[in-house]
Amino acid sequence: MCRCVLLAASFLIAVAAHAAAQGLPSEPLAFGDGRVVLGGDVTATIAPSDPGFFTYGTYEHSSLRELRMSLSARIRANSRLSLLAEVRSQNLEVTPFALYARIRPFESAPLDIQVGRIPPTFGRASRLLYARDNPLIGLPLAYQYLTSLRPDAVPATADELLTMRARGWLAGYSVGNASLTAGVPVASAFSFDTGVQATSAWRRITLSGAVTSGTLSNPRVADDNGGKQVQARVTVRPAPGLEIGSSFARGAFVSRAVLRSLDQPLTDSFVQQAYGLDMEYGRRHWLVRAEGIASEWRIPLGTTTQPLRTSVGSVEGRYAFLPGMYAAARLEHLAFSRIHGSSATLPWDAPVTRLEIGGGYYIRRNIVARGSWQLNQRDGGRIRSASFGAAQLLYWF
Amino acid sequence: MRWTHRLPPDTADDARRTRRRRTASWQRHLRIALLALVALVHLPGLGGEPPLVEAQSGTGSIRGRVDIRRIVSAPQARPNVADLSAQAKIEAHDLQRAVVFLDAPDVPERSPLRAAPRGTPVRARMDQRNETFLPHVLAVTTGTLVDFPNNDQTFHNVFSLSKTKRFDLGRYGRGEQETVRFERAGIVRVFCDIHSHMSAFVLVFNHPFHTTTADDGRYRIDNVPPGTYTVTVWHEGAARDSRSITIPATGGVMDVDLLVQ
Repeated sequence: MCRCVLLAASFLIAVAAHAAAQGLPSEPLAFGDGRVVLGGDVTATIAPSDPGFFTYGTYEHSSLRELRMSLSARIRANSRLSLLAEVRSQNLEVTPFALYARIRPFESAPLDIQVGRIPPTFGRASRLLYARDNPLIGLPLAYQYLTSLRPDAVPATADELLTMRARGWLAGYSVGNASLTAGVPVASAFSFDTGVQATSAWRRITLSGAVTSGTLSNPRVADDNGGKQVQARVTVRPAPGLEIGSSFARGAFVSRAVLRSLDQPLTDSFVQQAYGLDMEYGRRHWLVRAEGIASEWRIPLGTTTQPLRTSVGSVEGRYAFLPGMYAAARLEHLAFSRIHGSSATLPWDAPVTRLEIGGGYYIRRNIVARGSWQLNQRDGGRIRSASFGAAQLLYWF
Repeated sequence: MRWTHRLPPDTADDARRTRRRRTASWQRHLRIALLALVALVHLPGLGGEPPLVEAQSGTGSIRGRVDIRRIVSAPQARPNVADLSAQAKIEAHDLQRAVVFLDAPDVPERSPLRAAPRGTPVRARMDQRNETFLPHVLAVTTGTLVDFPNNDQTFHNVFSLSKTKRFDLGRYGRGEQETVRFERAGIVRVFCDIHSHMSAFVLVFNHPFHTTTADDGRYRIDNVPPGTYTVTVWHEGAARDSRSITIPATGGVMDVDLLVQ
């Protein structure tokens, strides 16, 4: 994979040099008088290996060692109906990422309804999926770091759960699907959920709500437990440059297969419920973002229902000190509630603290070279600390 | 001088006043002579700083119409699948405007076509309204101060990474404006760091013989010194058509129509 990323980086540098000379598209490609618009992103990121799996968003892919390409399209049927789609590839593994219809029922009213595989309603960082919106190379912990929880397998006891601390990259439990696979992040940034979403804006307030098949941490194409998720978000812009958002999500988390094996009814008891608060403030050459999420999963643990809580806080800043050059930093902490095992009371997963410092240089408006250094500390697991330097080349149109 | 009539007659004082008046008169004449000398020195061909062009009997005008047949799609916002939408409407772009300018490879270095204009800097304006730069194309002379006011509810961050002028004005809100002075001739692409679909051009010339076409494609460049020039039309990133033209020593109005396809 490393060779693949290195090759990709070389290719991208060559493309960047060619683009600088020849002028690859710097704007989205428009056809039919703007009825069809295509945009694309290519990021090649290289970093040393990460044996502690701090930076993995899935079992296979580290967010610091990947070639990611995406092609997105907007097809406007008329002034009220558009179709949006995106295909992504991570290290040449292609997946359909988004596919939904955007309907504006009233020409004059700012109300949009989106149906299909829709973007997350919850949170701020989920709105910043494209690398150009992320001032650093790494993704926020809440959206990338894999906890040890799985929707298709649950531990039989608290001890079994505690043995999987810091093993979210490859977790296995005795109830449900017995195979080893990756756990879920607090909020997934790697796939979209399926459902219906409505958004309306009024002056300085934007309201969004959605009903979907999966949950915040486990978005799904097809429902696996008969329960629906409800998400809501409100953003307020009290002053120029300042936006404050609050989000809520609640949905059935544990899969039908697990509940059947436990002889549990298909009730709405085993849910993920999350609250989020976030802000963004930009002024002159500064941009500051902060986000806090409190999430609770209710899973069957033996004969009881165990609430497993987590809270994550993140604050990041970006400062453009010269035209086309900036420096950025992000500090985050992911904490877990404590549960009682037979021999100890511990957080149900190992808390993680991450600091990332970096910067970027715009070779052209749409070609950016970035570098960052990331320090991860974890209170558990075989590897408790890891730091990486990473480099990234980003091209978008 | 009216005040002399209002004062009482006094012989001694009168004599002093007469002397003063004579002195004042002599100083006045000296001042006029000096001013005349300064003016003469600055007239073309009479010494002092060399003239920009040889003295000519008149200047000419170039006028015509630019026919834009090239179809240019308005810049589109990137398809952002993470967007919850309910967005504001983006204003239509004025993509049918072109810039017509003169170039004269054979004109000597001291021609107005080569010399950077002096004096008080001119101001121009590029507005930000409905997530669009207005105008989309701005032609200015070197030294011009361009104001970038924000008239949107949202912040904008105007920047350029062009070799001609690299700047980043940072984020600022409605009612605020930032100003950039364009000192070097060239093409400057202007963008917004927050709204990727916002883009514009500032064309900076080191001579005043340029203009932006009107809504109907018409243009006119006045006060062109006699000589042979190339009239060029620039539209959306490149020079599209050009014609050679000669302004005779007698001046006059020359018609040049140009085509963009």
